[in-house]
Amino acid sequence: MAVIHVRDITKIYNKDKVPVHALNGIDLEIQKGEFSAIVGPSGSGKTTLLNIIGGLDEPSSGKVFIEGTDMFALKERKLIDFRLHHIGFVFQAYNLIPVLTALENVSFILQMQGLPTKECRKRGTELLHQVGLEDKIHKRPSELSGGQQQRVAVARALASKPTFVLADEPTANLDSKSATDLLNLMLKLNETEQTTFIFSTHDQRVVERAKRVLTLVDGVIDSDEQK
Amino acid sequence: MMNILPIVSLSWKNIWRNKTRSLVVIIAVILGTGAGVFMSAFMYGMSMQFVKSELQNFTSHIQIHTKEYKDEVLPSKFIPNAHQLVNELSSLPFVEEITARTVISGLASTSSSSFGVTINGINIESENTVTELHTHIIEGDFLESKRANSIVVGNKLAQRLSLDIRSKVVINFQDVEGNLTAAAFRVTGVFKSPNSGFDETNVFVKQTHLNALLNADEISHEIAFLVNDFKMADAYRNSLNLDSGLVAESWGDIAPSLRYMDSMVGTMLYIVMAIILIALTFGIINTMLMAVLERQQELGMLMAVGVNKMKTFSMILIETFMLAIVGAPIGMLTAWLGIQILSDTGINVSAWGQGFEAYGIGTIIYPELQPEYYVNVGLLIFITTLIAALYPSYKALKLNPVEAIRKI
Repeated sequence: MAVIHVRDITKIYNKDKVPVHALNGIDLEIQKGEFSAIVGPSGSGKTTLLNIIGGLDEPSSGKVFIEGTDMFALKERKLIDFRLHHIGFVFQAYNLIPVLTALENVSFILQMQGLPTKECRKRGTELLHQVGLEDKIHKRPSELSGGQQQRVAVARALASKPTFVLADEPTANLDSKSATDLLNLMLKLNETEQTTFIFSTHDQRVVERAKRVLTLVDGVIDSDEQK
Repeated sequence: MMNILPIVSLSWKNIWRNKTRSLVVIIAVILGTGAGVFMSAFMYGMSMQFVKSELQNFTSHIQIHTKEYKDEVLPSKFIPNAHQLVNELSSLPFVEEITARTVISGLASTSSSSFGVTINGINIESENTVTELHTHIIEGDFLESKRANSIVVGNKLAQRLSLDIRSKVVINFQDVEGNLTAAAFRVTGVFKSPNSGFDETNVFVKQTHLNALLNADEISHEIAFLVNDFKMADAYRNSLNLDSGLVAESWGDIAPSLRYMDSMVGTMLYIVMAIILIALTFGIINTMLMAVLERQQELGMLMAVGVNKMKTFSMILIETFMLAIVGAPIGMLTAWLGIQILSDTGINVSAWGQGFEAYGIGTIIYPELQPEYYVNVGLLIFITTLIAALYPSYKALKLNPVEAIRKI
């Protein structure tokens, strides 16, 4: 079953001045449990596509359906709420809240969903165990390494049990070992929890481990390789 | 309902993210609020001292005259049955002290000069409960001698007429029948009140003696009394049930400048506080704007993962309020403590406040403030903080998550 259905998406920046066609008629289906990488040269539209799938950026034309919901037919408030409940994000720069501990960073998303504090802490602790940071739950981001911070970010992305996780260059700021560890972790989560992951990446290690590789060139899907 | 607790908790942590910066703002709020409240108390205390001095020395709280006397100050325009009226007024619950005076105009002369004066015939016992002129005697006494023709003059008049203790002064005036008469008085006291103009134009003699000279028995032209709350004088005046020929005036009617000053100072206090708070507002806006601009990436991330605009807006709003709410009560409490201590001991401003005495204020200022002022200042702080919070919150709200996340 397709959890993401992208239908004839185009995205044109600077429409009124010098139009830049970032995406040109993308059609794409992502099935539940996929571990997909979107690759391509800089400016090929990877991040734009990811932002549109994540509901952060609106396409110039076309539709995105998440489990049958036309995402951009939702009003802004509903769309934000939809992101909170259905989409997990992992950013290149981790983007953790520096004043919160690892556990609080993970629990915060659940608290935003209105879950009781006790339950949030329980789930947060479980997730940090899952990403191998059980001994760091009370550490602040500044007390963690880059790899550890990105693991907290993965735990945060998984906190709301999302339909899928979008990861924008998740290994770009990590050293080789941390990047490999993170990839192993995400693969394990993919295999054991059936979590759907979609990456945009330049990292060859991610590409090698991905089960599906979509190559974008000049805003169109140049190749779609299933492994 | 919006789940606000995690936002409140995060806001509190956020304000301590940059401790130095937040502490600077909090200290500025403490100092600004504290200094503003204390300065208001100083100004209010000073004005109250002036108003009270004027009331206690000269005006009293309410005065009663005949309407004709108000039109033309003549000895014949006295209050009929003044003593009976004094007794009736004394029984009113709000009347604290009362006195009746014979007040006429005359010409005081010595061998060297003459000057027009108001002659106040007073009953010394009741007068001393209503006014504090007896405390301003600088030479002699305030009509305590048994001499019937004693006279107490102001130091300004004494200078003008070259009068000393035991000097003789002759006063010409009309009696109740309109006949010109003259009487010799012996100076037994000299006073120096806070109002030099008053000192130059007023003399005090014994009422019984003056009435005898006027060929009248037990007459009074003026009844003056103090009430339990001088701010209620207008209401008490309206409640009096007087004969149609009489008119009661509150201190605000007698001295409109005092009433104006009282209300003006009330307004001034809020203006001073508002100016201080406006300056603080810009400090708070600057701090919060920096906080928002520094955290664009983080705010973008929060919006991306599903923290809605209302929560983002609330977070910045709450952070701003916390900065003010930590500082303002401490500032107000500090000022209150200072006011409590100094309202007893006073602040000696003699080093630079010699001129104050001329206005009846004295060189020791006792700061005081009405309790409602603290409440209103609290409200003012709430409003200005809300205004200060709006722009940074709006800036946060206008962030585009996609662009903000990529900011370094």
